[in-house]
Amino acid sequence: MRLSKTLRVGLVLALPIIVYFLVFFIYPLGLLFEEAFTTAGGTFTLANFQRMQTDPVLLTSLQNTFFYFIGSLGLEFFMGFGVAVLLYNYVGRLKTLFRTLIFIPLMVSPVVIGLVWVLLLNNQYGPVDYFMRVLGLPPLNFLGSLSLALPSIIVANGWEYSPFVFLIIYAGLVTVPQQLYEAAAVDGMSRFQAFRYVTFPSIRGVMLVAFLLDAIGVLKGFDLIYVITSGGPGYSTYLLSFYAYKEAFVYFQTNYAAALSLLFLAIIAAFVTMVLKFTPVEEYLGIRRAKQ
Amino acid sequence: MKKPSALATAVFVLLVLVCLFYLFPLYWTLITSFKFNDQIFTYPPVFFPSGIDFANFFQSSSVAHATSQTAIGSIPWMVDSTVVAITATLVSTFLIAAPAAYSLVRFLKNVWLGRLILFMTMIPEVVFMVPFFTLDAQLNLLNSWWGLALVYLSLTAPFATWLMMGFFNDVPKTVEEAAEIDGLSPYQIFYRISLRLVTPGLVAAVLLSFIFCWNELLYALILTYSPFPTGSETVPLFITSFLITDKSFAWGGLAAAGIFIMLPTIVMGIFAQKYLARGLTLGAVKG
Repeated sequence: MRLSKTLRVGLVLALPIIVYFLVFFIYPLGLLFEEAFTTAGGTFTLANFQRMQTDPVLLTSLQNTFFYFIGSLGLEFFMGFGVAVLLYNYVGRLKTLFRTLIFIPLMVSPVVIGLVWVLLLNNQYGPVDYFMRVLGLPPLNFLGSLSLALPSIIVANGWEYSPFVFLIIYAGLVTVPQQLYEAAAVDGMSRFQAFRYVTFPSIRGVMLVAFLLDAIGVLKGFDLIYVITSGGPGYSTYLLSFYAYKEAFVYFQTNYAAALSLLFLAIIAAFVTMVLKFTPVEEYLGIRRAKQ
Repeated sequence: MKKPSALATAVFVLLVLVCLFYLFPLYWTLITSFKFNDQIFTYPPVFFPSGIDFANFFQSSSVAHATSQTAIGSIPWMVDSTVVAITATLVSTFLIAAPAAYSLVRFLKNVWLGRLILFMTMIPEVVFMVPFFTLDAQLNLLNSWWGLALVYLSLTAPFATWLMMGFFNDVPKTVEEAAEIDGLSPYQIFYRISLRLVTPGLVAAVLLSFIFCWNELLYALILTYSPFPTGSETVPLFITSFLITDKSFAWGGLAAAGIFIMLPTIVMGIFAQKYLARGLTLGAVKG
């Protein structure tokens, strides 16, 4: 059999990633299925999946993950989008300085961020508590309260990742051709109309990219939970990722953890498939050339 | 010069406040690193330290419980992080991602392969923690630099491939066609021409991969952490090992270590910033 030259060269260059694919995707996926469908002794069982149906901690974790997902994504888009639009439209020479400063949190290790937020939100000596008292607000135990711990984590996460949304949307704004705005001005459009009919359609692609990447980043969330609350108080900050970790490496329920991992993978796959199917995001991700 | 409007001034003030929101936690880390426990746990909290004291950075045993909870104490962890991150970064960028991205853009132009790369970048670390633990155990690489670096390829290789695809897409075909007429083989064109033309993409991939590895917690935790120092724990573990086990530690020393830990990635990030934005939106801004 003779391969075409294009295919042959392509395969040679792709050889490392083919090996990677087998070792870091197919093989672990196989192991995951094997673990999930067996008992600790190695016999076939569906018990791990049956346990899921009646596991209250899993239910709590899923609810928390959903709330965390909506809250984080909403906050990060609100902040990232708002700041990008304001900075691009209203600030002159200091643009670059602002952009660089806002970008910094994204680069800081989440573990260090967790440490800082533990200090900031300390309910006796932390500065947030101090500000609240100065403003005459009731003192709140952010990290020790069942209802406030998860929102606190959402704020910490928003602090770190809204700059990511900001960065992408700002990069999109910069590329909108100035002539379009000039044409809009000639047509007598108001500032809001120009935004609605010029800016918005032009940056729809980057917004979709920012949405997909940020959503995946939020779903991955583990570090802040581990450092700031360790899932507590109670199970109030258990996310699916944190619960799977606990089962695997604290309680050593490897088989159940593998089943949870498969569930997690299925959720991610379903989400990504939906986004790719119902939005034109693929055209903007660089994996398929846009229709010319 | 035109006088700024009231609206522009209001927006400017708002953005300054936003910047304060983003910078305050970093400022708090910095001033905490200048304090000892008796100044950290005070009410009202001290917003402007009376003096700058570098004891938390350079002293190794001045405070009880703080024999290694100083910035200096974290240096062995930083060495581990550096070795692991550099190994994983170089292997994934140059050996795996660059040729793969070139192949996907120029030769194996299949949309499903692109989707597969994309999907692999989106798998949360948690999903494969059990299999990767097994993998390292089978290879007898638990608690070692190489075991962690190996698993970190999964953090960096698919992402770097996807990033590089955007940059290779940008290389004009005419340059490669000219090289082909000059008699260069496809591999020579890749290595001598196209790879040189995507240097910004390589810089972005290298810096971001390094940052991912430097900051990663979960795999470091399960693959290198044990009750006994194994000599391969990375920097995030320096912080978490104290946070989880010992509640009476020196926060100041830990904050000082935090400053040391975040500095390299911030510097790299600022350097990679414009390439990052470009790389992530390359497909989006052309459409």
